[in-house]
Amino acid sequence: MQGRGFVKPPTGITFDTDFGTSIDSVLTIALLRAMSSKGQCRVISVSVTNSNLKAAQAEEALSDFYLGGAQGSGTGFGGGADKIGLATDGKLKAETPIIKTILEKKNSQGKPAYPYKIESFIDTAECGVTIRNMLLAQNDLNAVVLLDGPAGNLVQLMNLYGAKPQITAKVKHLIAAVGAYPNGTAENGIKFDIAAARKLFAEWPTPIIAVGTEVGEAIPYPGESIDKDYAWAQDHPLVDAYKAFKPMPYDAVTPGMAGALYAANPDDGYFKLSEPGTITVLDDGRTKFTPGAGGKHQYLIADPAQKEKIQKLYAQLISTKPVPPAPRGRGRGIGFGRGASGAAGRGRGAFGASGAPGVITPAAPAPKE
Amino acid sequence: MNYVTGKALSRRTLLRGMGTAAVALPFLDSMQSAFAATTKAPTRLAFLYVPNGIIMSDWNPAQDYEGKFREFPRAMKPLEAFRDDMIQLGNLTHNSGRALLDGAGDHGRCSGSYLTGIQVKKTTIDIKASISCDQIIANKIGAQTRFPSLELGMDDARQAGDCDSGYSCAYTNNLAWRSETQPLPPTLDPRVLFERLFGDGQILTPEERALQAKNRQSILDFVMADTKKLQSTLGPTDSRKLDEYLSSIREVERQLEKAEKDNKQVDPGMPKPYGVPADFAEHFRLLTDMMLIAFQSDMTRVVTFLMTREGTSRAYREIGIPDGHHPCTHHQGKADLIEKVSKINEYHTTQLAGFLAKLKATKEGDSNLLDNSMIIYGAGLSDGNRHLHEDLPTLLIGRGGGAFTPGHRIVYRKETPMCNLHLTLMGHMGVPVENFGDASGPLDPASLSQVS
Repeated sequence: MQGRGFVKPPTGITFDTDFGTSIDSVLTIALLRAMSSKGQCRVISVSVTNSNLKAAQAEEALSDFYLGGAQGSGTGFGGGADKIGLATDGKLKAETPIIKTILEKKNSQGKPAYPYKIESFIDTAECGVTIRNMLLAQNDLNAVVLLDGPAGNLVQLMNLYGAKPQITAKVKHLIAAVGAYPNGTAENGIKFDIAAARKLFAEWPTPIIAVGTEVGEAIPYPGESIDKDYAWAQDHPLVDAYKAFKPMPYDAVTPGMAGALYAANPDDGYFKLSEPGTITVLDDGRTKFTPGAGGKHQYLIADPAQKEKIQKLYAQLISTKPVPPAPRGRGRGIGFGRGASGAAGRGRGAFGASGAPGVITPAAPAPKE
Repeated sequence: MNYVTGKALSRRTLLRGMGTAAVALPFLDSMQSAFAATTKAPTRLAFLYVPNGIIMSDWNPAQDYEGKFREFPRAMKPLEAFRDDMIQLGNLTHNSGRALLDGAGDHGRCSGSYLTGIQVKKTTIDIKASISCDQIIANKIGAQTRFPSLELGMDDARQAGDCDSGYSCAYTNNLAWRSETQPLPPTLDPRVLFERLFGDGQILTPEERALQAKNRQSILDFVMADTKKLQSTLGPTDSRKLDEYLSSIREVERQLEKAEKDNKQVDPGMPKPYGVPADFAEHFRLLTDMMLIAFQSDMTRVVTFLMTREGTSRAYREIGIPDGHHPCTHHQGKADLIEKVSKINEYHTTQLAGFLAKLKATKEGDSNLLDNSMIIYGAGLSDGNRHLHEDLPTLLIGRGGGAFTPGHRIVYRKETPMCNLHLTLMGHMGVPVENFGDASGPLDPASLSQVS
């Protein structure tokens, strides 16, 4: 955990997404993990809107890959497998080609190419509670909530008793990679749960910065990178997911990546910001931005001059070979509490207390009194 | 004596005697005859807290499962006889026990938050927690009993000073909080508890107590006339029940006298409270025997029991462990230290088993006292070596008067707030509360029924 009186650590980002529904969610997690490994941000929690255990398993597999095979996805308070929030009553129940590919791919030895530890729903966490718990461990206004999908989990968070003041204290802003701005067609993340999106934009207690589809379209992830930049890996979950999502070649629309980049590096001039105003969600799922000086909402604007730079940055960051984090002696490094692994006394077969074989597991540190 | 004339005996009947002696009665059949359709034994709630975490590989099964209990891990082995009377709850978490930017002090935080559900203020002076769930219940139903609640402990009742990295001893040494600034210190001395239960609550000095002891008569001698009068009105079942109950009080008196005698022999000048036995098991037995009597006679329905305080360095020479409990828990993977903690964990559950056996053997109508209780046995840390606040060791023992169907292990999703359990317990005590601490809602009732 962070400590009061210490230098403020990089922004803690909590990411909520409909994992595997689009390739954007996969690319965004890859980017968050890559930026985190470079100390540009910290991923403090990941939660998925899908009501499908396989979505959480695939997310864990991807995150572990980007952590260099380190145990746990790098979030959580240490001890025990890390917590991945999973909605249990959401509308997205289907197993998508992306999820299927990540989970079913075998390596050259015939073993799962992308291992994961989650075996049942009890290995996942309630989304709202997990996000709140992680936010409470952050310095004031040093967290960003990044949404790339339906808003159900964030509404669950808001509905927790006493949560709104806690969100206000900890969260600098919500980055909502949903909708289209200032006006546009209805976007899937909103269409899946219009009521939740409406409540989110109406009641979320901090400023909101929306990232519309138009930003993702203006600065897509370059498809050519997939065949070019990942040759070092015999198996790579992002490459497999990318190819499973749509027939190649294609450039992926990535508002989530734009939101993640802005969340970690808001002052680097990658994007422009609209004037303040208010976003409302219409009955058909379209979003409408109404300018107004007192508004708490803004939206990101893609800057054509930055396109090439951002695309190169995306490709470079997420195609770099991950390096397992060094074991933390006392486990009080920035970001992840006391190390990211090691279940305490709860074995779960092959993915039990000491994790998958052959993976570095940090020793259990003893806390200072 | 306060008889309800005619068929039924009042639940509030007291055996009175000379002086201030007063003995409440257990639940007798003749108390329910007039109210047969409505009289139901009350539900009792007790929290028994053990500190410094537990060796979790001795607590959770090697291969995890949910459902009917399979083989008990080492720390639960002593509770084998009660496998059909309890539920093991997995993955309950107290987020407010975590550092959350407040740095070291997990012991102070976890006990402070255990029943209050909030992150306590890190201070040794201007303490701040919140009303604890047991006191919310006591406030609501406490008027129905002589004592709204009882607070018991076996270790340390200091209320000031720094007990853990800047956390006041008020946090480590109390479980119950009447308000955010007012903890309720536990009674450590069995003699003091005895006097509270059967006297007028007058607290005596050691000198006064010694004088009284010299001329001591059994409390039962004082109420003998009333007892005889009552017994003449009871049927054989109730008469036997009353006899057993009064015998249990006499047994407590004998144990107390023995402890006081032993204490004198050990060191007449010792500062230890007069009636506190040196032996852990004996101390535990005395307090829980009186706790049982208090439940049985409906003197209270709510008890918190701090078996030892969080961060305690108590040695367990009784079982061959001269090292302090707390230092052993920071074992850093060393097998010899882990073994010592395992033994302590086992020793604690062995004591618990003795208490549960007595509760179960205490008949109450067609049921027994354990069935009509909710005994929470647990810790505010899981892994004491790493100070983890998740998957807190928690047993819910008893049937809550028919609220639960125990006999199984249930594992909730990660991060499930411990306060969800508190919310559930408050509801079953007839005190429904909408929000408490960081609860996200009561536990799923189906999870508290045995899964086939």
